[in-house]
Amino acid sequence: MSAVCAALAADPVLARHYADFRGETEAALDPALVALVREAVAAVHGMGAAPDESGLDEGTRTALAYARRMPFEHTAITDPQAAAVVAHLGEAGFVAFSVLAALADAECRAALVDLPGLAASG
Amino acid sequence: MSTIPRVSSAVPGEPPHFGSVLAHQPAIAASFFALYGRFWQSEVLSARIKEVARMRNARVTECGFCRNVRFDKALGQGLGEEVVDDITDGYETSAKLTDAEKAVLKFTDALIHDPELLTGDARAALQRHLTPAQIAELGLGVTLFLALAKALITMGLEPEQMDRTVLPTPAVLEAAA
Repeated sequence: MSAVCAALAADPVLARHYADFRGETEAALDPALVALVREAVAAVHGMGAAPDESGLDEGTRTALAYARRMPFEHTAITDPQAAAVVAHLGEAGFVAFSVLAALADAECRAALVDLPGLAASG
Repeated sequence: MSTIPRVSSAVPGEPPHFGSVLAHQPAIAASFFALYGRFWQSEVLSARIKEVARMRNARVTECGFCRNVRFDKALGQGLGEEVVDDITDGYETSAKLTDAEKAVLKFTDALIHDPELLTGDARAALQRHLTPAQIAELGLGVTLFLALAKALITMGLEPEQMDRTVLPTPAVLEAAA
């Protein structure tokens, strides 16, 4: 469960809407890619090991490189880097991928400030 | 940072913007707008406090679109430009922001920038001014503000130039209720 979902435990309506949004974003992409993105972004935050990319195709490695820039270098992603991800995933895939990578980053950050703990005790 | 859209509009006749680009993924768009409307409609945390956090995120993430948009409900709760101007580095000494808003800004900075900023004192201040339910809602808001600002920027949807624009506060659509 993400830190945001955990923090919203006392608000089932918002929790359900958040889970829907998160779920629809993930459902738009290959589950293996979703897992790789979450691992790669978490690793940038020091929250686990980076995924093994040795068996991945070039398009997937390019997409992961893009995702890894989301936490601290989002303004430095270049047009050619983005174009390479669009070429690999298509425009609709690129949209879902960008939302997923950004959401993965934000959820790691919510965990790092212990959002569930803050929201559980008063 | 690119101001050239990296993805086309999925809505015929409309230029690429967040809504028209997100329309490439209708299920994501529908779930997001339902969530965002519900979040802003909730009165657990005031619209003014939410907008204070959103403005801080806009400035730190360098989201020009977010920085120039104002939601009307927060304006109605007294968040004028003279207050927004203080949501910048050094906000701790502002005479216009309340102590609760300063605690919210510290939390926002910790989430979007550096978790080490949420020291014991900062954590205690947040919990003194906000209830657990309000903190949960604030955390959701900052998570969404951050993620969407970054998605918008990385998809090349930053405006080259944009005037300050007051928009209706997002609301729940009947079908999403």
